[in-house]
Amino acid sequence: MRVKNILITFFSALAILFSTSVVSLAKVVGDKIVLGAAISLTGKYSSNGVHTQNGYNMAVDRINSMGGIKVGGKTYKFDIIYYDDESNPKRAAQLAERLISQDGVEFMLGPYSSGLTKAIAPVTEKYGVPMVEANGASRSLFTKGYKYLFAVLAPANLYLDVAIETAVELNGGKGVKIAQAFEQDAFSQDVRLGILDAAERTGSEIVIDDKLPKELNDMAATLAKVKAVKPDVLVVSGHTKGALTAIRQIAEMKVDVPMLAMTHCDAAKLSKQHGKNAQYALCASQWHKTLTYKDDFFKDGMTYAADFEKEFGYDPPYQSAESSAALLVFKDAFERANSFDQKKVRDALADTNMQTFYGNIKFAPGGQNVDKPMVLFQVMCDDSGKCENKVVAPLKWASAELIHPIPKWSER
Amino acid sequence: MLKNKDLITYLFILIFGLSAPFIFPAFKVQLSILCILIVLATTWNIQGGEMGYNTFGNILFYGLGMYLCASVQVGMFFPLAEWTESGGEKTFVHTPAQFFQGMAAGLIVAAVVPTIVAGLIGYSILGLRGHYFAICTLGLGVAAGEISGGIEIIGAGQGFTTPPFPDVGGLEARGEFFYFLSFFALVFTFITVKAIYSTRFKLILNAIRDNEDKAEAMGIQTMKYKIIGWMVSAFFCGLAGGIMGGLVGYIDSTDVAFDGREMGVFMVLMAILGGKGTLWGPIIGATIFHIFKEGFWTFFLGWQYVALGVLIVVIVIYFPEGLMGWLREKYPEKFGEVVDEKDRKAQVELK
Repeated sequence: MRVKNILITFFSALAILFSTSVVSLAKVVGDKIVLGAAISLTGKYSSNGVHTQNGYNMAVDRINSMGGIKVGGKTYKFDIIYYDDESNPKRAAQLAERLISQDGVEFMLGPYSSGLTKAIAPVTEKYGVPMVEANGASRSLFTKGYKYLFAVLAPANLYLDVAIETAVELNGGKGVKIAQAFEQDAFSQDVRLGILDAAERTGSEIVIDDKLPKELNDMAATLAKVKAVKPDVLVVSGHTKGALTAIRQIAEMKVDVPMLAMTHCDAAKLSKQHGKNAQYALCASQWHKTLTYKDDFFKDGMTYAADFEKEFGYDPPYQSAESSAALLVFKDAFERANSFDQKKVRDALADTNMQTFYGNIKFAPGGQNVDKPMVLFQVMCDDSGKCENKVVAPLKWASAELIHPIPKWSER
Repeated sequence: MLKNKDLITYLFILIFGLSAPFIFPAFKVQLSILCILIVLATTWNIQGGEMGYNTFGNILFYGLGMYLCASVQVGMFFPLAEWTESGGEKTFVHTPAQFFQGMAAGLIVAAVVPTIVAGLIGYSILGLRGHYFAICTLGLGVAAGEISGGIEIIGAGQGFTTPPFPDVGGLEARGEFFYFLSFFALVFTFITVKAIYSTRFKLILNAIRDNEDKAEAMGIQTMKYKIIGWMVSAFFCGLAGGIMGGLVGYIDSTDVAFDGREMGVFMVLMAILGGKGTLWGPIIGATIFHIFKEGFWTFFLGWQYVALGVLIVVIVIYFPEGLMGWLREKYPEKFGEVVDEKDRKAQVELK
């Protein structure tokens, strides 16, 4: 059978192809510290993936131009290898493997979203590659005993429970009726768990508990129920698309609800894209530019926001800010470890205790940042129709007073 | 003579397969995935190629196997609900013995349960033919994804983190373990499918493909054979899914397990690329497909799907019968087909 000969030739060709394409870059080349990152440049998380990438790039440029990283008396500069994970966990895990075993990366930055971080963490953990991630907030990331995973952000279950507590407080301490709709993904489902906890704690009742599909672009069914049931609070979480869909359809269907709490308002640029329709939406955020944290590289939130806008042409969402902070953490850890040994860097990361423009950073044994509270802002518009996000809670940083309840559509 | 040559080829491939992870240590994951892809393409070929039933439902068994394997692996030693919810401060770590025992039991369940499921649903679904069957099976995968995304105990929309590989045998151990697991799954699949193809069973499948009514009229219980064929596919798809779940380390209902949009379509594509209805077609198709995909992804970042689309168009236009089909047409004698020169000439003259 000659077919077999063809097969033999085929497999040999394959072998040659593979063996010639093995390239291995060292993690520290010359004066460069090469970090690896799988980022969602396409797929359902592409807009947030780009926010993440911009945040990383911004910090790399800034740190490099301000003297770089000093390790062992020598100055190094950051460099990042990016791959596109297509917003797919399977792809992300493969890419992490590839970054580490083929590209020889020894330090990683996180991807966008909890689901993808969950897929990458087992790989980095296996190779003992320290990963500082800025966009994986799901709390189940921090209970698997990972030693090489560090998150600069607060866990997802804390995102919106402040909103529920505020609603209860405004209701005279009595429980409220909550309607909630969450996308079927790791992050949003964790936000949901946080709400369930908060509801139980405050004696609130959950009257609608819907799940939204991934790639969501319609939640009319949930909103129709909201119109009928009239809850006190409506909670929606589904990344950027969830925020955009919710605002669009709430305005279209003229849904009146006293409090609307969401995530990802700033990543979705709600105040710009939907203007007055987005007014009064309450949003959970890891960061806001008006917070008064400081560091040497970006000075403070306002300066960061201005520099970011100059570079990329839009107001930085917190996804970019936290991504930039991840690099500040890495720089700090390298300098304290004074070495490129992965174990030493890992230990230095675990000892991190610093302030950045984005907030205080200190890691719990599970890897989550325990030193930074969440903030809530509300979209507020002036008479000319210009809308802005203003921090309303916690009170320490509040720049405006919470408007509650939201005026009815008929009165707007 | 012929037998000897066959044996040498198989031996060569076996040695290549066994040594691959040591020759290309950096490509272990890609090679493991390649093995899984070949398993999926080969089993799809039983329906799509030999039997003429274009199924998009094999992804159901793959996803089912993935969830089952991971659930058994966790559930044998820890409360499953607590593992997936992971709300508390408690952490769960498998000891090496627990991990491997769990994996072994998990893979058995992952292979057996989908087989039973295939038997049960096959009885109702395989009565459909042509496009109706294709669309019905397409629905199966989508429905399974949505349903599993709502089941709390397997993580629902949060996803399911499979047990991390235990700390044994150094850095390369995990990659090697999963590579050999997938390679043996591949060998097992190949031997089984090859054995099946040498029996009357294959002829019956072909008869169903060529004319089901006639086959029935000949006294063949087509339903029985269709169901058995599907059960064989389900067995290996489930096994492949179980391995893939451990390899990826994280199961998401629609993106990893019931991934009809990618895996479900890829398995069809690979079989068609290589040539459906042949033993080697899906294998070659899967290999080429995987190499192309990985290559595009490295060299045309951002354009990988465009390049993949072009590849598909080229296949459909220039190789409608797949690579093996094309070779067969060009060199029929090498495929053991006797070409009668006189007969061929006569046919040409007739035209």
